[in-house]
Amino acid sequence: MLGEKALELIKELDRSKDGQLPTFNEDSIRMVLEEMTTLFEQNQRDVNATVAGDVRFFSGVHLRHAALERNKRCLLAYLYNRLERIKAMRWEFGSILPAEIRANICEPEVQWFSRYNKNLAAYMRSLGEGTGLDLTQDTKPPKNLYVEVRCLKDYGEFEIEEGDIVVLQKNTTHYLPMSHCQHLIRQGILEHVE
Amino acid sequence: MFITDLRKQFYNLITGKRILLLVHFDVDGICASKILQSLFRTDHILYTVVPIQTRTDLINAFQQHAEQVKHIVLINCGGCIDLVDLLQPSDDLVFFVADNHRPLDICNIYNAEQIRIMTKLGDEEEVPAFDDVFREDESEEESDEEGGKRPRFDEEALEKRRERRHWEQQRHKIIFDYTQFSYYGSSTATLMFDLAWKLSKDSNELLWWAIVGETEQLISEQTEPDKYLLVTATLQNHVSRLNHKAQDEQPLDCLRITFEKELQLALYRHWSLVESMRHSLYSATTLRLWTLKGEKRLHELLAEMGLPLAQCKQKYCGMDVSLRNELQSLLESKAEKYGLNNILFASFSISQGFRSKFSALDYVYATSALLENTDKEKTATDAFLDVTDSLTISKLTVLEKGIENSKQQLEAIYRQVQTFLDMNQVISAGPFLYATVIEGTPDARFFAAPHCLSLLARFTLKAHVAVSRSKKSRSLPLIITTPDVRSSESNICLVCGIPPTSEESPRNFFGKAFEQAADKTGSKAELEFFDTNIIRLSVDDRSKFFDALISLLS
Amino acid sequence: MSDTEEDVIEGSDDEGEAMTASEVLKKLEEAWITERMSPTLECHQSELVDCMLDQINQMTENLKRCKKHDFRLAIHKMEIDRIRYVISSYLRVRLEKIERFSHYLLEKEANMTDETMAALSPHEVAYAKDYAANLESHFQTLVLQHVPENLRTFDSAKMSIKPNLDSYIFFKVKQETPGVLIEDDTGEGRDEELDLQEGSQHLMRYKPISHLLHSGAVTLI
Repeated sequence: MLGEKALELIKELDRSKDGQLPTFNEDSIRMVLEEMTTLFEQNQRDVNATVAGDVRFFSGVHLRHAALERNKRCLLAYLYNRLERIKAMRWEFGSILPAEIRANICEPEVQWFSRYNKNLAAYMRSLGEGTGLDLTQDTKPPKNLYVEVRCLKDYGEFEIEEGDIVVLQKNTTHYLPMSHCQHLIRQGILEHVE
Repeated sequence: MFITDLRKQFYNLITGKRILLLVHFDVDGICASKILQSLFRTDHILYTVVPIQTRTDLINAFQQHAEQVKHIVLINCGGCIDLVDLLQPSDDLVFFVADNHRPLDICNIYNAEQIRIMTKLGDEEEVPAFDDVFREDESEEESDEEGGKRPRFDEEALEKRRERRHWEQQRHKIIFDYTQFSYYGSSTATLMFDLAWKLSKDSNELLWWAIVGETEQLISEQTEPDKYLLVTATLQNHVSRLNHKAQDEQPLDCLRITFEKELQLALYRHWSLVESMRHSLYSATTLRLWTLKGEKRLHELLAEMGLPLAQCKQKYCGMDVSLRNELQSLLESKAEKYGLNNILFASFSISQGFRSKFSALDYVYATSALLENTDKEKTATDAFLDVTDSLTISKLTVLEKGIENSKQQLEAIYRQVQTFLDMNQVISAGPFLYATVIEGTPDARFFAAPHCLSLLARFTLKAHVAVSRSKKSRSLPLIITTPDVRSSESNICLVCGIPPTSEESPRNFFGKAFEQAADKTGSKAELEFFDTNIIRLSVDDRSKFFDALISLLS
Repeated sequence: MSDTEEDVIEGSDDEGEAMTASEVLKKLEEAWITERMSPTLECHQSELVDCMLDQINQMTENLKRCKKHDFRLAIHKMEIDRIRYVISSYLRVRLEKIERFSHYLLEKEANMTDETMAALSPHEVAYAKDYAANLESHFQTLVLQHVPENLRTFDSAKMSIKPNLDSYIFFKVKQETPGVLIEDDTGEGRDEELDLQEGSQHLMRYKPISHLLHSGAVTLI
């Protein structure tokens, strides 16, 4: 079937849950690309025939061309949506991706990611006439200046306001400035106690 | 140094500082810490809470966290240890100690710089006078002696030395008398609630924690019943102050605390009546429920009360409403005949909205069981946090889990007591009784924890006294040992000593006795717990340790 | 508001700003709501953002001089947090749109004639350009250079995402605007003219009122 592989690729990504990223499916992509080459070669032959005056192949050429366009679109959509997910993780986890995500992305994606990071960092630095503003902070409307958090992992020393240092040890409870511990909460090192 | 005005001498001093809270593993302590935490939150005081189980924990936590803070609050730990000596803190560190363990260390009491002890001393508590235990010339004289500058046979010096020897003997005696018994002061949670009240920051939730803390002290026999009554009266005032509105004036889903008479039965609202009576220390030992006769008596009692057996065996919430409503009065009317005079006691219960009611007793049982969870995947500190959660009124699921845990724990205790009695394993060693949980007992995982072990000990002793023919058993203390299956090392057992049943006040001399016996025999013993009547001991040293105890106590 | 803020306003007056800090904040909050509701990217307000960021930086500086544990300190800090949240959220929404519509916006930018109507600030232009280029090069490496020759281009007109300007929005009228022409989108010539009364609220397609949004006559809700 024409375009079947491409559709599968899209479905595979769609089926995986939000916040997860399946392994970059290089095999499927190669198969789609091969299908495209075949289609293109067949078209090439038929076009030549058409040009030579044989009109019988005309609709075939059209069909194949549509299939080619569709495959291309599917491949790009696959890439684009993967990038969207990686991007979401940049906002969630910061510029260093978790190991389980890193294992599932391919080299060009790594390159894209680092360029994205650079671009984003440059933009954030430029805000406020050069003073900069970290947009990945303050994702929720502030309710309290301070929050009670519980430490889920041994983390070690952590600096809060003006050089004060807190030692974050597993299963200790702390009351800390909200703005300082948002990142650690998102990374799963701290847990917000309601 | 003692401080009594907590607001001026404690709270105002620490406002705006960073605080390290070191909290002992007990329900009263956790309640106290929750009250403090919520006070701190309203004033934006940054804090760190670290759970403390043993002396080593205290030292470790201090080393880890103390560098960053100047104010340390110790809850239910550290009062009985010379803190300055143990922790070697830098000079600008201040310890605020709220410890219900007694006797408090003398060095802590007389250290005016770094140690502030927050407590109301009971009337009967006496602390040795400063002059009797400390002498200014102490160090001076020693150095002089070493220097050997003075002629040895100086009359004056001789006189001085004699006087000094006399003073030292006196001092030794005074200190021995002072430290001989370990006992408990009033609940730390109520102390903290008092502070909250004085700061006008009290609420029903805080009050409830104070109640739970106080009730725990009653249940674990750390406080005497009449003292409990006094405190309840104060708490009752707070309850009526905070819950004075009539039921229809308040929204239904708000938190309500009520003061009422309560049955001294464990978890009966969440169990069946029969099960609850069987597993409650008071009813079980009074009716001797582990015997056939006892079983019969229970059935008789229920029949006389007019409760169908089928109803009593099903879950309490499934009982007829009319029976449930009358249960208390029915039991009360028959109490005298069955010797259950104290089955009712003054207590509190909490209800929120349309949820079922929980009594302070339920909370104590559930939280204590959570604290000593037998789940292997949970570390001790996990359990600590579970308790912290379960006390939050909105997190009922954790509490319900605790109730189930508690049932298992009580069942295990009951089984073990029955085994002890059936096999005559409570043995008199002369000055005390002892019982040993045999290695390999499946239930041992429950008992390898301080609170559960002392509950087992009390249950065993009461049960033993109830069936024993000799009158003497009433005046004998009990020592119980159990393999410490929770520790990674093998061949370690926990030893727990409790005072005799005839003793009215919960004064316990085993702490000191264990210390001396361990010293004398050179046993591999760890006197690590803040409750000094519980120690860890190498099994190999057990017999020699016991021999020493016998000779010490007879 | 607070005295700390008054201090800050004096500072900003030197630059000839005619607005007080609270007015700036109000404008910014309005822009924030509009941005969140609008289907496309609205005109950038980087002066407002920069001004407000400057404010909170100064406020933070001022607070450092304040006595620690002053009762007012917590309130001021809270205020700073709230302003910072508004700014961050506003910029985040914009960034999200810039990323999604990067090709469309860049094209619009290139054809722009009126500076004051610019949707993107210079920094945002740089960001959008780099983002679009990054995306295209990623497509090139992985797919486009491997497909048959005639398919190798990335046709942004065909492939890129464009905002749906026909989506419906709620808005509130701030200035009386008579005679707004509402074209019939079905093309059947049933155009309408509408008088927008001050304070009234409407649900309408975005396109016909977009110019009013830019002029400030209406605001999204």
